[in-house]
Amino acid sequence: MKRFSYAAIAITLAAFPVKAAELTVATAGDQNMVDYINQYLGPLFEKTYPGNTVRAVGTGPGDSGSQKLLERFDAQAAAKSEKWDVDVAVVHEKFVGPMVTKNYLAKYRGDIETGSLVTRDNAKMALGTNVDGYVMPMFNSQTALAYNPDLVSKPPQSYAELADWAKAHPKQFGYNGIKGGASGVSFVMGWIYAFGDSDANTLMNGPFNADDTKKWDGAFKSLADFTTNATLTPGNAGTLDLLSRGEIAMGPVWVDMFYSWQASGQLPPTMKLILPAPGMPGQPMHYVIPEKTAQKELAEKFVALATSPKVQAEGIVKRFNWYPGIDADKVKAELDDATWNKLFVDISPADLAEKGKPFPIAPYNSAILEAYEKSVK
Amino acid sequence: MSRRLLGLLLVLPALAVIALLFILPLIMSAVGAFQVDGAFGWGNFVKTFDLYTKDIIFTVVIVSLSTVLIGLASIAIGGYLTLGNNPVAVSILRFLYRWPMFIPFIVVGQLMRTFLAKNGMMNNAAVSLGLMTPMETMSFLDWRGIVFAFVWKQTPFVALLVAGAMASLNRDTIEAARNLGASKLRVLFEIIVPQVAVTLTVGLILSFVTMMSVLSVPLMINAQSPTMLTADIAFRVNAYGDYGVANALGLISLVLASSVAWIYLRISLKERT
Repeated sequence: MKRFSYAAIAITLAAFPVKAAELTVATAGDQNMVDYINQYLGPLFEKTYPGNTVRAVGTGPGDSGSQKLLERFDAQAAAKSEKWDVDVAVVHEKFVGPMVTKNYLAKYRGDIETGSLVTRDNAKMALGTNVDGYVMPMFNSQTALAYNPDLVSKPPQSYAELADWAKAHPKQFGYNGIKGGASGVSFVMGWIYAFGDSDANTLMNGPFNADDTKKWDGAFKSLADFTTNATLTPGNAGTLDLLSRGEIAMGPVWVDMFYSWQASGQLPPTMKLILPAPGMPGQPMHYVIPEKTAQKELAEKFVALATSPKVQAEGIVKRFNWYPGIDADKVKAELDDATWNKLFVDISPADLAEKGKPFPIAPYNSAILEAYEKSVK
Repeated sequence: MSRRLLGLLLVLPALAVIALLFILPLIMSAVGAFQVDGAFGWGNFVKTFDLYTKDIIFTVVIVSLSTVLIGLASIAIGGYLTLGNNPVAVSILRFLYRWPMFIPFIVVGQLMRTFLAKNGMMNNAAVSLGLMTPMETMSFLDWRGIVFAFVWKQTPFVALLVAGAMASLNRDTIEAARNLGASKLRVLFEIIVPQVAVTLTVGLILSFVTMMSVLSVPLMINAQSPTMLTADIAFRVNAYGDYGVANALGLISLVLASSVAWIYLRISLKERT
């Protein structure tokens, strides 16, 4: 009898979940993404909506972090779980498409008040998949060429000029190939936009045509030659490292990383950025909410807070030098001019509008990477 | 319940863990290597050899070269610990040589990135000592960096085993050889090393297999082309979500590792009989 009463108590306890809710936010990306949620966004949310707590989980840097989240969703869908263990996820653009196609995500943008502040096209299409309504951009980031003005007096304005410059200055250009982070990948994509015989707009917007993948031979041959004249760096940070030590004079970098390194003194303040024609890719990180979250309402409140002009100004622009995810004008109103202008020292808004490109759609993306593996050895 | 059944029951949890967490995933990834779009075929291997033949050779060469260097370095360390005359030098060496063993591979990768770079600590030290000019410096962050990192990290492990085996040798053989006028080098290579050969081989085989599986060092020092198989496996999964070719690559590195593991098994069988 005693045993039965214990069992009864246990069952009753299990049946009434603890009232205070814990919101699980899983984020791909470097440690700074986890820190951002743990140190800034989480406490702010807990203060705004008392009684709730935020738990941040980092799934690892780069594409592999988002890949892990996709696989976690795959597993929970395959197990037919009623409630998933992630309430809000932050993922790379490339993985949003598959998540939407597999019906993992909630279409929530229309439900939150900041949804109407989103203006950029990359919140509607993600590398060729229609994701309109399923995502809120957390920020937009961009790649560009960083250079040392002491060694490069007249930086190349285009990929064609860059190719000539690199020939004249062997080993002075450094990039991280395609296996050491996305700044190198982005540089390669830009090369194909510039020199591939396929239409760059088709690569960015689709539709996919397998014949296009055969039109890159010339571009990859010149890239292979170019690479023998370049220095290969270990990773995104490796390029900045080599640049700061004067081992290379120029290389592709993420703009936000470049500014953060300058702000922390890891990179000399004299270094500059340039966005060569016809352009280099950038990408957003997106907030998504799984359809089967246990706390949809709270998750929506979290994303609404994270994409409000004030948080975008304070957290995204001021702390991390990222380009805002929502309408830039709304964010600008929240900031002083000095902070805002810091984002546009070397790359003007006009440059950004003209030469800031999206990555190619997923099938072209994979085809270009594989062609690179085959031809640049 | 018979004692026998009870015994089986007791090992059951351990067996279940091995079967579910080691053997099952191994079989699944081996099967996955032969699956292309749900059907069985050789497609993954065709692609693997098409794209990564150079990387397979690179991996074998790098790991073999590292193994040889580790062997030489650990014989040198063990030999000095056994034959060295200066007690202070011996105890300093004994104290120092084990340190790298306690440093994780990822940290080794990070150390080497700043140590071996063109303007890194090693070159800067050489420049400030007047051994070379800044113009002559070069970066070692390529295949040499990987070998350097592997040797630095794995030597202490093998040296620990070898030095232990050397210390437990019967010293009479060494004394006899010395009395007959053999030089120390000759004693080391003709008396000591043959007697510890089994231990040395086992240590080197374990190092070989460990180095085959390290991802962080090639990723941090040289994830270019050619690179090590582990970096390619990670890239296949992360960039393409392509487990088929990743499994095929994994199976190939399994074959490479098991070819040396086979030697290990033969040695341990011989020891038992």
